[in-house]
Amino acid sequence: MKKSLVAPQIWHPEEVSEAWSLLKRFGKAARVLAGGTAVQLDWAAGAPVPEHWIDLNRLDDLRGVTELADGGIWIGALTSLSALRHGALIGKKLPMLCDAVGRVGSAGIRNLATLGGNVASGSGCIIPALLALDAEVELFTAKGLVRRNLRALLSSSLTPMEGVVLVAIVVPARLPAKTCFEKMGLRRAFTPSVINAAAGLWFDGAGNVVKARLAIGGGITPPQRLSAAEHSLIGIPLSALDWTSLKRDMLGEMRVPSDAFRSAEYRRNVAANAIIAGLGGGVALDAVAGKASAHCFASIPAFVPVPYSEVEVSRAAMSERWRMRPDVTAKVEGAFTYLTDIRKPDMLVGRVLRAGYPHARILGIDTSEAEALPGVHAVVTHRDVKGLNGYGIVIPDQPAFCADKVRYVGDAVAAIAAESEEIAERALALIRVDYEVLPIVDDAERALAPDAPLVHESGNLLADLGLERGKVDEAFARAAHIVEDVYVTPRQMHAFMETEGGYAEPTPEGGLLVCVAGQHGYRDRMQLARILDVDEECIRIVSSPSGGAFGGKDELTVQPALALLALKAGRPVRLQLDRWESVLAGTKRQPMRIRMRTACDAEGYLIAQEVDAIADGGAYASLGASVVETALEHVTGAYRIPNVRSRGRLAYTNNGFGGAFRGFGCNEMLFAVESQIGRLAEKAGLDPVSFRVRNLRQPGDMGYLGQVVAPSDRGRETLAAAAASDLWARERGVSADGRKVIGVGLAVALQGSGLGSAIGDSGAARLSLAADGKIEAAFGAEEIGQGVLALIQESVARVLGCERDDVRPVIGDTAKTVDSGSTTASRMTYVVWRSASETGPELSAKLLAAAAKEMGKQSEELAIGAGGIYDARRNVPDVPLLSFAALAQSLGEAERPSAECGFAFPISHGTVEGNARFLHCHSAVLARVAVDRVTGMVEVLDLDQHTAAGPVMDVANYSGQIEGGGVQGLGFTLTEDTLIEGGTFTSRNFDSYMVPMIADAPANMRVFAMEELDAGDPYGPRGVGELGISAVSPAVAAAVADAVGIWVVEAPFSPEKILIRTGGMSAPAE
Amino acid sequence: MTVVSMTVNGKSVSADVEARTLLVHYIREALGLTGTHVGCDTSQCGACVVHVNGRAVKSCAMLAGQAEGAEVVTVEGLARDGELHPVQKAFREHHGLQCGFCTPGMIMTAVDMIRRKPQLDEQTVRDELEGNICRCTGYHNIVKAILAASEEMR
Ligand code: FES
Ligand code: FES
Repeated sequence: MKKSLVAPQIWHPEEVSEAWSLLKRFGKAARVLAGGTAVQLDWAAGAPVPEHWIDLNRLDDLRGVTELADGGIWIGALTSLSALRHGALIGKKLPMLCDAVGRVGSAGIRNLATLGGNVASGSGCIIPALLALDAEVELFTAKGLVRRNLRALLSSSLTPMEGVVLVAIVVPARLPAKTCFEKMGLRRAFTPSVINAAAGLWFDGAGNVVKARLAIGGGITPPQRLSAAEHSLIGIPLSALDWTSLKRDMLGEMRVPSDAFRSAEYRRNVAANAIIAGLGGGVALDAVAGKASAHCFASIPAFVPVPYSEVEVSRAAMSERWRMRPDVTAKVEGAFTYLTDIRKPDMLVGRVLRAGYPHARILGIDTSEAEALPGVHAVVTHRDVKGLNGYGIVIPDQPAFCADKVRYVGDAVAAIAAESEEIAERALALIRVDYEVLPIVDDAERALAPDAPLVHESGNLLADLGLERGKVDEAFARAAHIVEDVYVTPRQMHAFMETEGGYAEPTPEGGLLVCVAGQHGYRDRMQLARILDVDEECIRIVSSPSGGAFGGKDELTVQPALALLALKAGRPVRLQLDRWESVLAGTKRQPMRIRMRTACDAEGYLIAQEVDAIADGGAYASLGASVVETALEHVTGAYRIPNVRSRGRLAYTNNGFGGAFRGFGCNEMLFAVESQIGRLAEKAGLDPVSFRVRNLRQPGDMGYLGQVVAPSDRGRETLAAAAASDLWARERGVSADGRKVIGVGLAVALQGSGLGSAIGDSGAARLSLAADGKIEAAFGAEEIGQGVLALIQESVARVLGCERDDVRPVIGDTAKTVDSGSTTASRMTYVVWRSASETGPELSAKLLAAAAKEMGKQSEELAIGAGGIYDARRNVPDVPLLSFAALAQSLGEAERPSAECGFAFPISHGTVEGNARFLHCHSAVLARVAVDRVTGMVEVLDLDQHTAAGPVMDVANYSGQIEGGGVQGLGFTLTEDTLIEGGTFTSRNFDSYMVPMIADAPANMRVFAMEELDAGDPYGPRGVGELGISAVSPAVAAAVADAVGIWVVEAPFSPEKILIRTGGMSAPAE
Repeated sequence: MTVVSMTVNGKSVSADVEARTLLVHYIREALGLTGTHVGCDTSQCGACVVHVNGRAVKSCAMLAGQAEGAEVVTVEGLARDGELHPVQKAFREHHGLQCGFCTPGMIMTAVDMIRRKPQLDEQTVRDELEGNICRCTGYHNIVKAILAASEEMR
């Protein structure tokens, strides 16, 4: 984040000798620039910008690959990794090297990065591969060109490349007959290296090993040859190797460090496993990685005799209904404007000063020096907050700017508006804040201990919810099977690609315009008005579009800082968090520990459920309590369980701050519930489908909280579809090469939509004929990628009978819309559909009446169609008798028809014990996974979601939400966790927070939908913004259990723990 | 400050920037071409991919000065005479995006990949896209779009 302001001098030597002289002249003040890809990474990590850059790119002699007279292969140091990877000679002669090169960075990096850069860094991913090939290096030194063995160079005590120019890598002519290379990372590809391992073996005519090279390195592991293990192989044929003792030898001599992501023990074991698998295949792996357990593959489950009809939601299967979204053209052109793209001539740049301490008292804030810096136009602190210095959707306990103390590292203390980024940066450093550091609380359970430091004066217990029903203890006493465990869920980060940002400016009328992507513009306005102590009408909020939100832009983000800066400076101010600041300051999913005890009787009927959940809310309330409440609403999942005891607590800590995230407690709880169900099924001797069938809720059942729920329960149907899936019959068990074990798992979800019964939840919209003849559909909704624009067009067009293109959605602007409620909680689909149903007929009648008057006809003779008004009796669509445009032109502004509606989101009636949802949708999810016996990592091969959420309004967006939610769910399950230690984030960016890349996404994903509603169900389509994430984690957990016989209860799943439990490494000594 | 000149989308451009300016900031701030996005600025996300001398590169992994004199193409430079590039059309038709923030980087990566590998198969597409994050779509339609475009361009 912090960039030095030194302007480096760039040198462009034309000869190697010149480069060498420059290096010698500037010593440590110089840095060699080859591909340049590491430069920015070093800055981001806080390295100073060197004074001199020696750009080698004019040294064309250092580029290219040639075969030497002696058969060796010479690779110029400046050869780009992509040239190497795609070069014919390397591909033919050195496939292992080619493979190793392909595991570095990504294509866009490999086009720039060079082999020399990788090697000269001393820790490059390719070094182990080169060591296994016994490579040499050609250097330019004081003595001219010299050739050295790579290993000798790396193990020399000098910084390897100091004072020399790396000219080439040379692979000697005599190549090993057997090689292997493996890069192990935090995810499947484009990953920081956990460790890399490589081997090369040379044999004599009799097949005995005559020379061996075993090497490790990469990431934090210094390159190392495993000499003792190498030596132990000499004179033995591969077939006679004792793999167990080889592994022991290798483990014994590896020197490997630990970090927050993986232990040294894990790194050593996977490196050894990889070399053994690479040299000896599945058989060798059997000796060192635990026998693959073959007993646990569930058979193909029972058929469920329930009729259902479902469609595959895809372009191929629903081509006649496939439509393009209205914002798509601008998005593919690069012409789409996000609110963070906007620049104005007199715009200032804003920056926020963050606490940096997880818990500290503020003794004083001195902004005078910063204010005095030329180019600074405003500095704001808590002293500038005229209204309530607090925000928060439920409890406004988060200060706009901290006054007395800071409670998490990302707390805002001050902000600056300046003429340039550089000045803002400098000014930030001039603000003096005196802190008295306070003891922190960094664990939810410890936060509730009586002697814990208090995050807020009100105490650390933010919510304590729950209910008890039936005779819980009695039911457990008579249970045939009980499963109990503690499930842990991660501090997932939204990681929207567009970080929080936008701009604000005072308006000529004395008001304020704030353009920042959000999820409920009207509520943002209310919160901001409260902070500024002005009337809401003085503020105009533009909250759309957004480069992703997922719940992370539901709460205010940078709006308070921007508003205060713009008002104080009297000029437009822009501000966007960089990725590190977004990690630091932004809301996260609140981690939960869920203790769950579940019982069934001998026939497999669920009889009791006990849940005790505790969530880490971080420093501020935001929506945290609602998340816990929603989690508790799902403690019985989709099942009937007569006896239940549940408790959920939310604690304040100094760990960032938690809030809304897609799934909102439901997917966390279902991870636990569905895993319990799978384990109980095993205990009861039932397959996962049969067990569920006998326990599912029945249509007409009350909701969990005693509420009446909407009809169209599709629990059985979605389960039946999953049971009948062809996925069960795909390859399972140990893979042909012995490397992986494959399993299939099932989980189901019942997911509510809307905000619930306890708080107000209402929708509204306005339709009108605009001057240009478009039907303007105004919604206080945000386009966050989900496709609300297409949904609005489709809903309105369906009701009016016109085309989508006749409808112009107007959204995300408090000056032009009405308050439709939040773009959250899977609620907007219903709001839009309902609004269209309510306003459509009225607008339609008004349009026809106006047209009839204009044309001298009766309304009844006319009908609405594509582009305008038609003769009602027409039987072929052609041109309208009167286009919407002509109609609009014929009318004065006041005469142009419009219709408006406002309504309550449907909520439950009945005896409700808590905040209950009325609308629900269902899914049954199947995952097929492969567990890697070398690394313990889980790869998801297939993900199928059988969903039921009413009519599919837009094919592309429906499948898009389910697929995207599904992959976010995989991230939650397998790789994503914002690491924090002592209140300070270890995860800083996408190099230390593992969003699923394409290699982590399943190659096969299918989405199915059951569109039909029960006769008499008037509630239309249910939103699917969250359904796609709901049951993914437990489906993956069940698939892992199917493959290797263990249930993993902590997400993200730890490869290390899986490896220990399956025998691929021994548990570290206590 | 140094003057950095190059050709961007066929036009010669030049701007006075600090030596440490990254190519992506040069494109966005100095030239005002906001189609190229910043998702991380540490070469992790791929939202900033542009073509430099015909090769797809992450423009946050490169100093503007390194592109002195180069031919740079950004997403805004793909369409010809108002007609979208086949890859752009395919992303549109196959719904290869949601919020659209990753899209320019995805498209520029795809164009380069198709140019280098006229016979694209699904595995190759997945391999080549390994460095581009999409947080919205699950990647599924992006792969379909690229395969369709490659078919179209054959
Ligand atoms: S902004 Fe360049 S890779 Fe993320
Ligand atoms: S469409 Fe949003 S990140 Fe890809």
